[in-house]
Formats: sequence, C-alpha cells, structure tokens
Amino acid sequence: MSRLYLLLKYTAILLWSSFVVAPFLWALTTSFKTVNGVTSGPTYLPWLQYTPSLSGWTGLFGGTGGIDIVQPYLNSIVVTLGASAISIVLGTLAAYGLSRFTYQLGFAKNTDIIFFFVSQRIMPPIVLAIPFFLMLRFLGLLDTALGLIIVYIALLLPIAVWVMVDFFNNVPRQLDEMAMLDGCTPLQAFASVVLPNSLPGIIVAGLFCIIFGWNDFFFAFTLTFTQTQLLPVAIVALNSSVTPWWTLSASALISVTPLVVIAVLVERYLSRGHLAGAIR
Amino acid sequence: MAQIILSGVGHTYTGAAHEEAWALNPLDLVWEDGRTYALLGPSGCGKTTMLNIISGLVKPTRGRVLFDARDVTDIPTTKRNIAQVFQFPVIYGAMSVYENLAFPLVCRKWPRERIAEKVAEVAEVLDLERELRRPARTLTAAEKQLISLGRGLVREDVAALLMDEPLTVIDPQFKFLLRRKLREITERFRLTVVYVTHDQNEAMTFANEVVVMSEGQVVQRGSPEELFEYPRTTYVGYFIGSPAMNLFPVSTDGGALVFGGTRLRSNYDAAALPPGQLQVGVRPEYLELAFEPGENTLAARITGILDQGSVRVVALLVAGEPAKLSIPRGRRVPSGDVLVRLPADKIRVYVDGDLATAGR
Repeated sequence: MSRLYLLLKYTAILLWSSFVVAPFLWALTTSFKTVNGVTSGPTYLPWLQYTPSLSGWTGLFGGTGGIDIVQPYLNSIVVTLGASAISIVLGTLAAYGLSRFTYQLGFAKNTDIIFFFVSQRIMPPIVLAIPFFLMLRFLGLLDTALGLIIVYIALLLPIAVWVMVDFFNNVPRQLDEMAMLDGCTPLQAFASVVLPNSLPGIIVAGLFCIIFGWNDFFFAFTLTFTQTQLLPVAIVALNSSVTPWWTLSASALISVTPLVVIAVLVERYLSRGHLAGAIR
Repeated sequence: MAQIILSGVGHTYTGAAHEEAWALNPLDLVWEDGRTYALLGPSGCGKTTMLNIISGLVKPTRGRVLFDARDVTDIPTTKRNIAQVFQFPVIYGAMSVYENLAFPLVCRKWPRERIAEKVAEVAEVLDLERELRRPARTLTAAEKQLISLGRGLVREDVAALLMDEPLTVIDPQFKFLLRRKLREITERFRLTVVYVTHDQNEAMTFANEVVVMSEGQVVQRGSPEELFEYPRTTYVGYFIGSPAMNLFPVSTDGGALVFGGTRLRSNYDAAALPPGQLQVGVRPEYLELAFEPGENTLAARITGILDQGSVRVVALLVAGEPAKLSIPRGRRVPSGDVLVRLPADKIRVYVDGDLATAGR
C-alpha cells in the first residue's frame, strides 16, 4: 500500500518536474544551434543531432547581428533592486503603522487607506503611461534610471503595503505590547521584535517586487529611448526580419537566471515556521 | 516597587458616549507596595482591562492612575516600568533565551558586562542557566512563562508585576511547580503583584489579599480567610470556595430565622434585619451530618456522592433544597435519609443577595 503510494507520488513529481524543466531544456539546446539546427525539426542532442555553435551567446555580447546585453543587464539590476528596496522599506513602515495604529484622514480610516493603496493597481498600466510620461518629462527624468525607479516605486509600493499589512496583522499584538512593557519605544519594538518575526513576509513582498520590476517591459519601453535601456527592451530589440531564435533563447536563459537563483536562496525563509513559537 | 492607586478609574471600549457599557465601572482601588493580590472573577468581568490600565496598554476613559502619588495616567507603557506576564506566553521567537532576558536591559542601554551579570543572576533564580543559548521558541510553555517573568525581574525596581492568568496554558503537572516558583520569586523580590485568575484555588493560595470582581465592579476585597468566612454577597459565596456556599431560602418568625419549618439559632437577630428576600448561607465544609435530632438539625436525603480526592462531596436535599456537604476522606458516608446540622456560628444571612450587617 505505502509502496504503491510512494511509486505514485514520485511518478507524479517526476512528471511535473519534466513539465517544468522542459522549456529550459528547449531554450538551452536552441541557444547552441544555428539556422540549420533550428529549422530541421526538433532535436536535442548536440553533435549527434545538430552541430553546436556559440553564435547565439556571442550575439548577446556585441557579436554580429546581436546586441550588447551587459549595460541593459546592469541597468535592470540597478532599477529593480533600487525600486524594490525602497518600496520594501517604505511599504513595511507604512504597513506596520496601518496594522498597529488607528488613522483618520478626513473620512478615510485604516481599511480605506489600505484599499486606496491597493486600488492603484486596479487600473490597466496603459492608463498610466501618458501621465507617467508627462510627469517624468516635467522632471527631466525621461530615459533615466532614476525616473524608472520612481515609476516602479509607485507601482511596487501597493504590493509591498498590501502583503505586509496582512502579514503584520498576523503577528500577535502582544509581541509589541510586551516589548513596550520591557521598556522599548515603538520604533525599537518594531525594529528588534516585530521585524525579525516578519522576515518571511518581507521576503515574499520583496520577491513580488523583484519579479515585477525585473520582468516589466511596458514602462521600460514607453519611458526610455536610447540612454537607459532595460533588459526586456534590449531583448525585444533582437527581433529582426529573421528571428534569431538562438540568441533569444540565450537571452531568455540569462534573464531568468537571477530570479531562479533568488527563489532558491529564499525558499527556506518562506515557511511560516519562522513565526511559530513567538506566541503559543 | 510602588503603591498603585486607581482613582475613579473606569473604562469603556465603545467610546465615552455609551457610558452604560462600562467594561470596568469607575472605581477607587489601592494596591499596597510589596503585597500580593489576586484579582478574581469570571471571564469578561474587567480584570484584564484593569491590568492593561495599570500597565498603560489601555488608557482609561475616566480617572487617574498613580504610582506612589505620581500621576502616570498620560505616561506611556514604555516609561511605566511594569512587568506583565500574559495568559499566553509571549517570547521573542527570533532571539535566544539569553537575548530574551537581556532585551529590557538592551532597551535601557545598559553596558554589556552589567547585562551579562544581571541575566546570569536571574537565570539562576529561574533555573534557566543551562538553557541560555537555546532559541527561545524551542522552550516549553512553562519555561516561556518563566522567561516572560524573567524579563520583568532583570529590571531593577519594577513598579509592579502583573500576571494575567499565567497558568492557563500550562500542563497540569507543571502548574503546581510553576505556581510554587512564582510564589517563591514574588516573596524573594518583595514585588507588588496583581495576579489575575478565574481559578479561586490559585487565588486563595497565592495572595495576601483577594479582590473579587463581577461585571466590571469590585464586589469584595479581603484576606482569603475573610472571603471564605464572610462572603459579602451570595455571588462571592458562590464564586469563592469549592463546592460553592449553600444558600437556603428562609423566613422570619419574631427574632428567629425559619428554614424548612425549623427555627434556626444564629448570631443574627431576625427582627433587626432590613426587609427583602432572605437567604442563609452555610459553607459545605461547615455543614455537619448529625446522628440525633437537636438544635438547627434538619432532615435531609442524600442524592449522590462525588469523590474529590482528599474530600468527598455529598449532594443532598435539605428540606427539599439542594445542598452540598464535604466530608474528609476516611469518614463513613451514610446513605438515604440523614440528619444535617447548620452550626449556629457559621450561618450567614443575606438580604437580597447582600450579607446582612444589621442584627448581628
């Protein structure tokens, strides 16, 4: 019985894993092919089925018919990390306040304020393109990394606040109360007691922000031209009359790598077990 | 340590507009320096609200809070120097036991060596010296409660130690040990202690003085002895003591109380009692089985026996009224029809639920 269960379980896991890994494998083989390799039907084994070539990869680093991916890559890292870090810091502080204190802004109370934050994401992005464009032009920040960082903060902050409010609401209030009884100021209580217990939430929020920032094409495309190119825009620039599948595959792999690495690194923090035991 | 005075303190969670909905009725109360108090009452009677008002977690709707004549009503929790142990253990899960105990001192910016010294001292008192390096979240519930207490003990001169049903989540076999430990510590450190509980045994063994609350009001305060012997209301008689005080409806006949057709001799002059519904109360511990008719002796019928370890509780009907009588283990318990005597000096008279003071 249990043997059968194990067999079924691992079969299912194996099937799912292949399903997930297959596109990566496909991209990996394609990235080492040339025109002939791509057009001659599905092949997977280098040397046996097709002649491997590095042209797909050299195309990413200034090779013929390609682009130089290094600068856009760095730009993407700076913009994504900058915007995510600022969003997480501001979002966490805002969320803590909204979770622990009572506010009244005119008619708006805490829940209204939280909804206001989240509602910023209800509009389709295209509605925001022209306002953002005009605002950045007014500030002279079009086509700059700083301009993009500001726009991304506006887009990421709601996510950060939303995730963190929910998370702080699940951190027992007694923890803050105890810290204050122990003689902490509210800020000390937040920094040394609540924050360490909220690490999983911060990581989830951070992950959302990084994924969004890294993958965004729309705003990177509409708000920059030549000076500040981000990775997704640079990759799309590869498209020409003859689609260079090999270079596109290589760029897909290279652009997805940081997200995979981050996901693997933080996976162990995502369990709620870190919170268990704070109050029981 | 400090004397804590609640002056006209009342609280409502619904806002000042609905003062009939007091969670804590406005009251005056003094907690004397260095004494141990038990605050006793059913769930929702305002005990926790009162503690939170003392520690500043709740700002009272009305009244002032004073520590040694210093008005602290508007002073935040952080500056009140109160130690509080909650019902559910609260520990800083991301820290070790040592860091948990050191935390209040770190907040006070003590030098590192002094912190280490103090933590070692308190850890020894709590028997936690060997656990100092462990992550605090791996401890048992009882140990976590000790840490909560320890964070209060490391601070010099805490104004008071407030405990809010600290033994609720403790396994029965540790309850006894932890209670003894708490008692030992409060005596050694000469702390002003307010101990909230709804367990009357806990209250009676722990405290110098017991304060009984009901529906946001203090019903009676006094030594465990006083509360047991002279419950001021039938509610206190019901709440303190296990099983609860027996209450019988009585009438008057001239100067005597009459119950089930029998004239009762008591310390009361029935003629001097104010008008109202009359009841007499007798503790199950004082009700006696009698073997021949005599003074204050009534016919009764035994309906059941409940074994409670050191005592056996006999349920009976005295003149048709349900009553309980407790007998030390080892004494023979008869069955069927018996005689029961109400000792004259143990009879308390209640008029409309309040202990009669006139006619005594």
